[in-house]
Amino acid sequence: MIDFISNVLLVTATPVDNGGFWLPRAASTAAEGVDLTFNVITWICYVFFALIVGLMVFFCIKYRRKSPDIVVQGPTHNTALELTWTIIPLILVVVIFTVGMRGYLNLREAPEGCYEVQVTGQKWSWTFNHPEYGASQVAELTVPLGKPVRLLMTSNDVLHSVWIPDFRVKMDVIPGRYTSLWFEATKLGDYHLNCTEYCGKDHSKMLAMVHVIPADEFDATMKKLASEYEDMSVGELPAYAINRLYNRCVSCHSLDGTDGTGPTFKGLWDRVKNGQVKFTNGDSLSSMLGDATEYGEPENYIRESIVDPQKHIVEGYLGSMPAFQGQLKEKQISAIIEMFKHLRDVTDANGNITVNPDGTPTE
Amino acid sequence: MTTIDAQHSSLSSSDNYLNHTKGIKSWLFTLDHKRIGVMYLIGVLVAFFLGGVFAMLIRFHLLTPEGTLMTQDQYNQAFTVHGAIMVFLVIIPAIPAALGNFVLPIMLGAKDVAFPKLNLFSFWLWIFGLVFFLIALGSGGIDTGWTFYTPYSIDKASSMGGVIPALVGAFILGFSSIFTGLNFIVTIHRLRPKGMAWFNMPLFLWGTYATAIIQILATPVVGITLLLLIVERAFGIGIFDPAMGGDPILYQHFFWFYSHPAVYIMILPAMGIVSELISVHSHRHIFGYKFIAYSSIAIAIFGFLVWGHHMFTAGQSQLVNIVFSLITFSVSIPSAVKVFNWLATLYKGSISFNTPMLYGLSFIFIFGIGGLTGLYCATLATDVHLHESYFIVAHFHYTMMGSALIGFLGGMHHWWPKMTGKMYNEMWGRIGCITVFVGFNLCFFSQFMMGSRGMTRRYAQYLPEFQSYHIASTIGSVIMAIGFVITAIYLLQSIFGGKKAPANPWGGRSLEWQCSSPPPWDNFSEQPEVGDCYDYSVLVWNEAEQGYDWRTDAVHPGEEENG
Repeated sequence: MIDFISNVLLVTATPVDNGGFWLPRAASTAAEGVDLTFNVITWICYVFFALIVGLMVFFCIKYRRKSPDIVVQGPTHNTALELTWTIIPLILVVVIFTVGMRGYLNLREAPEGCYEVQVTGQKWSWTFNHPEYGASQVAELTVPLGKPVRLLMTSNDVLHSVWIPDFRVKMDVIPGRYTSLWFEATKLGDYHLNCTEYCGKDHSKMLAMVHVIPADEFDATMKKLASEYEDMSVGELPAYAINRLYNRCVSCHSLDGTDGTGPTFKGLWDRVKNGQVKFTNGDSLSSMLGDATEYGEPENYIRESIVDPQKHIVEGYLGSMPAFQGQLKEKQISAIIEMFKHLRDVTDANGNITVNPDGTPTE
Repeated sequence: MTTIDAQHSSLSSSDNYLNHTKGIKSWLFTLDHKRIGVMYLIGVLVAFFLGGVFAMLIRFHLLTPEGTLMTQDQYNQAFTVHGAIMVFLVIIPAIPAALGNFVLPIMLGAKDVAFPKLNLFSFWLWIFGLVFFLIALGSGGIDTGWTFYTPYSIDKASSMGGVIPALVGAFILGFSSIFTGLNFIVTIHRLRPKGMAWFNMPLFLWGTYATAIIQILATPVVGITLLLLIVERAFGIGIFDPAMGGDPILYQHFFWFYSHPAVYIMILPAMGIVSELISVHSHRHIFGYKFIAYSSIAIAIFGFLVWGHHMFTAGQSQLVNIVFSLITFSVSIPSAVKVFNWLATLYKGSISFNTPMLYGLSFIFIFGIGGLTGLYCATLATDVHLHESYFIVAHFHYTMMGSALIGFLGGMHHWWPKMTGKMYNEMWGRIGCITVFVGFNLCFFSQFMMGSRGMTRRYAQYLPEFQSYHIASTIGSVIMAIGFVITAIYLLQSIFGGKKAPANPWGGRSLEWQCSSPPPWDNFSEQPEVGDCYDYSVLVWNEAEQGYDWRTDAVHPGEEENG
């Protein structure tokens, strides 16, 4: 019981990694002000709730009706008492408002010299661009420990919202305008990032992981991330693509053969190579492959369905895939094509990824 | 004394509003406010059952992190339909249109509302609204959430085909609500009996009056907003869609300008009912009448100024957020005042624990939690964290469902003998109420905890760490559903086999307890006696009738005035 109360009182003081009774672990500088506010309100709530229910139960026992003939005459009003219980709550809410406002300003006002990340929300994945390094991450965001980071965010389609519960930050991501949030991570580790504004079918799969790494490793990590595929041989590309690029496809395209918003990637290369794909307009891929046809090589069809997916929509699907024109380098597109060709080498029969980005097998 | 005898003769008369005329048409085209109220009640309960089925689908789906029952699309439809039905078809009309229609004119000693035909029309609009919701389900479904946020709701490629019928339905239901509000305002202004000044009215009427103000001032705004959305979706005119030069945040402002006051449409009449329940079943004059009455009006007025707190993370400026946060706190003061006044009414009362009173006490407990957790949502620093999480889901279920609906159930049990002329089984009534109370708290308290720990709302799948909370919540929902089934059974049983209800089973003093149960077709054969509607000293228990009569030696209000 003592633990429980102290947990609620001061979440950050406990060594327990998964936080207190009410709040998860706190891992950003702003979390302190938020948690302080939360705990102030919580204690006011405990006191008032105990008062209300305590009095109610006490009166119910003491003044229960013992016979239907009883006539009672209690006081009908008492202006001084009524003003008291109007004014005391008034003072308390002004206190709560002030504490909450200060915590909020701390949460919103980004310090000078933030490390900036550009965030794009798109059904149903997150892309994080690091302009300083020319690096891009999907469903993963790497940030340095103890440095303020500012996310400049926009959406390509509908409303989304970024929420990192352990950092206590949240901001909507809106098409046609930019919004921002900032945080400074105080603990190493991996933290969940959720889309928290409803955005359609796979809203609950629009997740990302924030990796907080030591500040002195950050520079090298980002440089490697920005250029790792450039020096890779063709044989190394499938392992890279399945780990670094597939994140962007996972909410719609499975690896284990189950049907999603889009066709499964399992066996996709065989279907394409043999022309076993029908389109919603009635055409068949088999008539578009070969000498003097629209595509010629099957690789061209895959390339087009990534950069301009609306041109031919596979029969049985709605065609809700966004266009990736300009978002991927040519070598990254080649990497995806290589991944399709060698999918059996990088995944198992159940669709689990079996290799690390550098090609070594996963444990 | 002659008036008392006259009332007794009307009590023994077997002619009442239920058997005055016969046949289905005499109900469907009735202008009698009591029959319209009963039809609304049946409609609301049917809609509540429908919305409840979707709620149970949601709860069972969330038993495992991957989801058990539905695909993502089906889940999104389930929570949309659950929300839309419960808000537009159940909670908004439940108390004013169903109970208010029945009780309000009788409380005023009037024969009907001011505009009986408009009243019937608003009931039929409600039916048309329901039909359009069903059309929406049949024409591709809706998956936008009950809030219809743009640009998702405009984009035909992402959202499902039933959006326009659902918007039309909500638009029509808005008019139904406006007409009811208009009718009540005029009725209260024009049809109060001689001797009943504003501050002699039962507090339920103050609650419905404050509600009616919101209904006629705020609902037109959402009507226009929904029309704009229909135009945009149907003809591609850019209003809210940024791809066409519109502004999606503008939609949120328009929507919440109505939909925040709308939560007071739900809670204010429930608070009015609780004021009646606590006083009547404590057999004790209400404490602080004027503070309770003024607090209803204060909540209605402040309610118009706080919509921006739904958009603390939507990119508003910091200054706007701070101002909206400050004003939002103003709503908490009149709410607290009401709770303290109810507690003071219990003090030195003579409290009987009838089923309606158990609902009244449940209301204080649940609204205590629902109101206090509102503090976290009004406070900027905490709301940024809690916004769009299960904490919010729990908060608004504690207020909109736990409070508004518990208030409605309390009122329904309070006036059930008056409406049907039959008593329900008191023991089963108490069992039903306690079951609902336990189930409700288990279902939604666990949602506060998972919400503040990071569980996002409207997720069909979730992280395994939240599973134990979801299981607790689902168990709670099953207990609650059992409570509702018990309630449905004994209420239906009471209609066919219940004991005959006396005119005044609880010892109420407002005018509806002066006519027979069920009331005659024209409510009162003679003008009832108006007096202090919370002065119970004039009543005496009649063991033979199992109800309360006037004391033979009671001083009648008219005589008192004459000296």
